[in-house]
Amino acid sequence: MKNGRWITQTESLTCLSEAAAIWKRDLKSEFRTRYAVNAILMFAFTTLIAVSFSIGAFRIEEAEKPFLDAVLLWIILVFSALSGLSRSFVKEEEAGTMDILKLSASPHAVFLGKLFFNLVLLGALEVIIVPFFVLLMGYDIKFPGYFWAMVVSAGLGLGTATTIVAAMIARASVRGALFSVLSFPLLLPLMITAIKGCERAAMGLNTAGWPEVKIAVAYTVIMTIVSIFLFPMIWEE
Amino acid sequence: MIYKIMLALWMCFILAASFLLTDPAMGFPGETSRILFFHVPQAWVATLSFLLSMIGSVVFLAKRRPKADHLALAAAELGFVFCVLATVTGSIFAKATWGAYWNWDPRETSIVILLMIYGAYFALRSAVADSEKKKVFAAAYAILAFVTVPFLVFIVPRITVSLHPENTMNPANPGMDPKTLMVFLGSLVAYTGLFLWMLRLKMRILFLEQLKNKKKV
Amino acid sequence: MKEAIPFALNVRRLSKHFEETRLFEDISFSLVHGEVFAITGWNGSGKSTLLRIIAGLVRPSAGDIEMMSNDSVVSKDSRRKFIGLVAPALSLYDELTGLENMVFFHKVRGGNSDPSACLDVMRQVGLAGQEDKPCKDYSSGMKQRLKLAQALIHKPPLLLLDEPGSNLDNKGIKIVEDIICEQRKAGIILIASNEKREVDYADRILNLSE
Repeated sequence: MKNGRWITQTESLTCLSEAAAIWKRDLKSEFRTRYAVNAILMFAFTTLIAVSFSIGAFRIEEAEKPFLDAVLLWIILVFSALSGLSRSFVKEEEAGTMDILKLSASPHAVFLGKLFFNLVLLGALEVIIVPFFVLLMGYDIKFPGYFWAMVVSAGLGLGTATTIVAAMIARASVRGALFSVLSFPLLLPLMITAIKGCERAAMGLNTAGWPEVKIAVAYTVIMTIVSIFLFPMIWEE
Repeated sequence: MIYKIMLALWMCFILAASFLLTDPAMGFPGETSRILFFHVPQAWVATLSFLLSMIGSVVFLAKRRPKADHLALAAAELGFVFCVLATVTGSIFAKATWGAYWNWDPRETSIVILLMIYGAYFALRSAVADSEKKKVFAAAYAILAFVTVPFLVFIVPRITVSLHPENTMNPANPGMDPKTLMVFLGSLVAYTGLFLWMLRLKMRILFLEQLKNKKKV
Repeated sequence: MKEAIPFALNVRRLSKHFEETRLFEDISFSLVHGEVFAITGWNGSGKSTLLRIIAGLVRPSAGDIEMMSNDSVVSKDSRRKFIGLVAPALSLYDELTGLENMVFFHKVRGGNSDPSACLDVMRQVGLAGQEDKPCKDYSSGMKQRLKLAQALIHKPPLLLLDEPGSNLDNKGIKIVEDIICEQRKAGIILIASNEKREVDYADRILNLSE
């Protein structure tokens, strides 16, 4: 029995190092072509500028701000994510490198590698856009710790759900629209939670127990586990 | 054959009973509470369908039995129909009771999300060209969607109610008088029977289509 | 020179059909260590598909494949470490250099990040000096050589070659010949081709058009 456990540990270590190889390669390719990053950031900034210009810091009443600003923020984040996060799989399909990747890498390594790549992209998106949003919209946040915990945990969930869906649509027709159509119902519970969480942080309400963050983390964990199970079947022909 | 006739008779009886045998419930304007007999069973069937579709998906991924995929697809198609019915009847009720066709209260939100999940399921099936892959992907999606449902059922109500004090529609409350309860249960049986009958038919159609395609090869 | 671990391949009753087209049915053969096996047939007869099925890229409609290393069965999950595939349909990462591609394929199969093994293989296929060029600047002949290199980097006992001589000049073809000779000691080679020169390397031939 102990033997069995050791083997699994080495196996998971090799899986992680293989995933790391995939993730780093994806980052390298992305750095040289900058396709996904451009799409995501362009979308995010355009939407942010449009929102800030038309609504700005003063059009919304103070009482409504915590909620409405949270809604706007998450609309921007989710739709920006949807504009670029399918790239990691679609690019393999378009370049024709899917086959060679299937040949050389284990499905779990591929999933984890692509997941980490998407999380890095999302992390960059959040780190850049959220501060700009807070500034431009005059979003007054009473508990920034809770706010950022919410942004990070919901971002993780967002990354997981979109990665598994991206794997499914890579070979389909009408990929862009299908990616959004499939992701959205899965993301809605997470979005609602994130909005409430950010609102709570902005209003300075009692954050004992960290309810919304816990929900987002639970969502992420469950989605990741289910995705790890489902991915090999989606990946192999 | 007999089953079909008995089901039809039973549904007619329930329809009559819902208007003639029972009195409207307290706290609801006019006759609107009668929607209980139709709307709730429809929503129940829509959810049951989703569960069956998910079970079919799991079995298909585990054993690759074609019949499991038939179950998943047939249940999804029927579930979608009943989901639309539930949304429409619920909306009519909302207008009559609260004055607006749509309120985004937790139950309404959940049924819309269920509609979106069904829609996404069909979009995925039609977008993937290869027939084997289509089934695998659709099954995977059904499972993923099902996994988010607990979050919807437990989270959304808890979060939205805390901010919106107006109560959610709760026709399934236990304070029903015996007559109403009996007609309600009868309607539940009727709708479930209707669903199961349609499900069997749809699965048979899918099975025959599969045979026809196999013969061509 | 390390003793090569005996490798065997058993293909049983393999069939493949797509929707309404029947590609091939009931294909069976067994190969032992050191054998070279050629698969021929007119274009569209399923040579490439058969190779892809053995490589694990495509599911067969019926039948199964068994691989034995040192008399123990190789599980489906571990097979990728035992197989190297060269095929026209394969593509490499254009935005990476030749060496970066090689290091990636090496690492992803469990190798380390040390580039020396990769450099050796690239030299073997005649790509010495081209390591740092991005793949999008490679000629089709160079790309073919890089495909050969990635198939060899993990020293697989089973080498699947689908039209290995395509896009290659005489020097390249000689390299393929050398690879086949070397691989006989390491395991088994399957060649899918209609070129007489390539089919002639084989000990046995299967014609899918029959």
